[in-house]
Amino acid sequence: MYIQVDNANTFIATGGKPFDAKLPTVVLLHGSGTDHRGWALQARWFAFHGYSVFAPDFPAHSLSEGEALTSIELMAAWLLRALDTAKVDKVHLVGHSQGFLVALEAAILLGDRLKSVTALATASAIPVNAALVETAQTNPKTAAAMMLQWGFGNSHQHGASAVPGMQPIGIGARIMANNPLAIDLAACNAYTQGPQRALQLAKLGCPSCVILAGQDRMTPKREGLKLAQALNTPAQVVDEAGHMLPMEAPKESLNLMKKFIQSVEK
Amino acid sequence: MSKSSFLGADTIALHSGYQPESDHGSRAVPIYQTTSYVFDSVDEASALFNVEQGGHIYSRITNPTVAVLEQRLAALEGGAGAICTASGMSALFVSFFSLCSAGDHIVSAAQIYGSTVTLLKHTLKRFNIECTFVDINDQKAVAEAIQSNTKLVFCESIGNPGLAVSNLPAIAKTAHAQGIPLVVDATFATPYLNNPIEHGADVVVHSVTKWIGGHGVAVGGVVIDGGNFDWLKSGRFPTLTQPYEPFHGMNFWEEFGPAALAMRIRCESMRDIGAAMAPHNAFLLLQGLETLNLRMQQHVSNAQAMVTWLQQQDAVAWVNHPDINANAHTKLLFPKGAGSMLTFGVKGGRNAGAAFIDALQLSSNLANVGDSRTLVLHPGSTTHSRLSETDLVAAGIGADLIRVSVGIENLKDIQADFSLGLRAAAKVVAHQAEA
Repeated sequence: MYIQVDNANTFIATGGKPFDAKLPTVVLLHGSGTDHRGWALQARWFAFHGYSVFAPDFPAHSLSEGEALTSIELMAAWLLRALDTAKVDKVHLVGHSQGFLVALEAAILLGDRLKSVTALATASAIPVNAALVETAQTNPKTAAAMMLQWGFGNSHQHGASAVPGMQPIGIGARIMANNPLAIDLAACNAYTQGPQRALQLAKLGCPSCVILAGQDRMTPKREGLKLAQALNTPAQVVDEAGHMLPMEAPKESLNLMKKFIQSVEK
Repeated sequence: MSKSSFLGADTIALHSGYQPESDHGSRAVPIYQTTSYVFDSVDEASALFNVEQGGHIYSRITNPTVAVLEQRLAALEGGAGAICTASGMSALFVSFFSLCSAGDHIVSAAQIYGSTVTLLKHTLKRFNIECTFVDINDQKAVAEAIQSNTKLVFCESIGNPGLAVSNLPAIAKTAHAQGIPLVVDATFATPYLNNPIEHGADVVVHSVTKWIGGHGVAVGGVVIDGGNFDWLKSGRFPTLTQPYEPFHGMNFWEEFGPAALAMRIRCESMRDIGAAMAPHNAFLLLQGLETLNLRMQQHVSNAQAMVTWLQQQDAVAWVNHPDINANAHTKLLFPKGAGSMLTFGVKGGRNAGAAFIDALQLSSNLANVGDSRTLVLHPGSTTHSRLSETDLVAAGIGADLIRVSVGIENLKDIQADFSLGLRAAAKVVAHQAEA
């Protein structure tokens, strides 16, 4: 569906069913330079099993218009405006990589509206190599290629695909090359509140779930384990996947996501 | 590397899409000779049917062995995804069928394979899809042929059998300027010689029966979704950008983006038309694909040598190969050589040509190309025999034209065989002179 946020046409993927704010809402937040399609399979499951899905393309990403947001804090504030526009009350926040930094920041702003947070292939801080940010500014396609080569795990580097016949690296390259990757990466690099926000959430008793990838070279597992420790929750690890976990292991990641969110809903 | 893999083409051809499976460690891609797949539970079955989960349901739609070939070919061509089909013609049909509806229009190169002409000119016309044939390298003609209901521009990267090389960057520019995708049949080129997506093509089709298989034992086709075309921005493709009722109102563009066309073909054409590739054929074609790069080097080398040799023969009236006096776009698109197809005419016209073909002992007179063995054919009386005189001229097919798919045999043996044919042709000419 499309909604107007800050006077910009904004695309919200709903998993193939009309959005119904009365249902428990799962918010799926994409990573740097990507879009809602990284959640294609997970979104459909939630949408067809009693949930409403709210998976936005952040401003200037893929199907959404507007100016790219330059900080994680701005992205979190924007997310709240988007949720308000769609009249969404309580939410489960799920974030991949940068998307979870946004979730951490938005979680504090949401207060009682927050039901849970789920982290996939991420950490509480995502420092980005200056050379990569610079490359993303001057040559986005090259930067996207660097991230995809670094981001996908072993089997996908050898052409594996969870969806028969598809080439996730090829799909990712096309999506990332047209999105404001440099701005996203700079925002990740500049965000330092993550560890503190994670401790705050733990103190508030927010239900949380951390799903990590054993072959993650962008937000290494050891950093994800620190996040899990801060959130005071055990980490689940999908061994045979890299940083692009939602696309590389959609079934495994969905099983962990839905088990957790269903347990919170009970 | 291609845009879909960081491996080299030689490595992709051998490894992409498959790693030794966990049950038995089979190094070769296993043949999953099964129609269907056991579901873990009713919930899993439901998830698979609703595309909430990737996987296999029924081999008309997907099959693990076929999927390896699809993923390997998508990686080789630098595409977002691929769908293998029962033949090259079915790959073309599902491409056209997925982009066009009744009342739509196609602009096509005039110099293309005879069965494709028939599909575009007669078969699709029954479904109220019209086609205008143009000189594809005349961009003014292409632009003028595009109508408000045009859904695609189609060409072969190397035309069959005229061997004209399509100027892909120029054609793509013309098509894209009017919001139209370019669909390219790249069978004669193979992914080794040219990757059309790099030069602006949006959809690539192959008859994998030909050089990709190379052995001539299995028929198959593939459609590769280039993933670069913005179907929404074009505004011409409701099949991809509007809800598709038979699939819970799925919007392929919104849900799958760069792979929207591939997913539409999977969800609609493979389900409703069912032109599926058999798993055993996929296995056989994978065996060929593994050595494509090596074979193509020999194919091209032999073809170039045969061009030179034929040009030196007294009985030969003319020789055609794209590398002869190659124009700028041929050099750009085919730096490793423009394939292993050549055509030539023997002095004495059709009867001398028939004598040439009938005298051959090593080369095979048959209706196929891209076999590792040298193949010859007289298109005017076979593959293109259903075309009118006008269409034959438009397709660049004279009565004396002999089509040769140069194989990878020892070059001297091919030349010795052709010498037999040329001597027989010369005798016909001598008899004609005496009469």
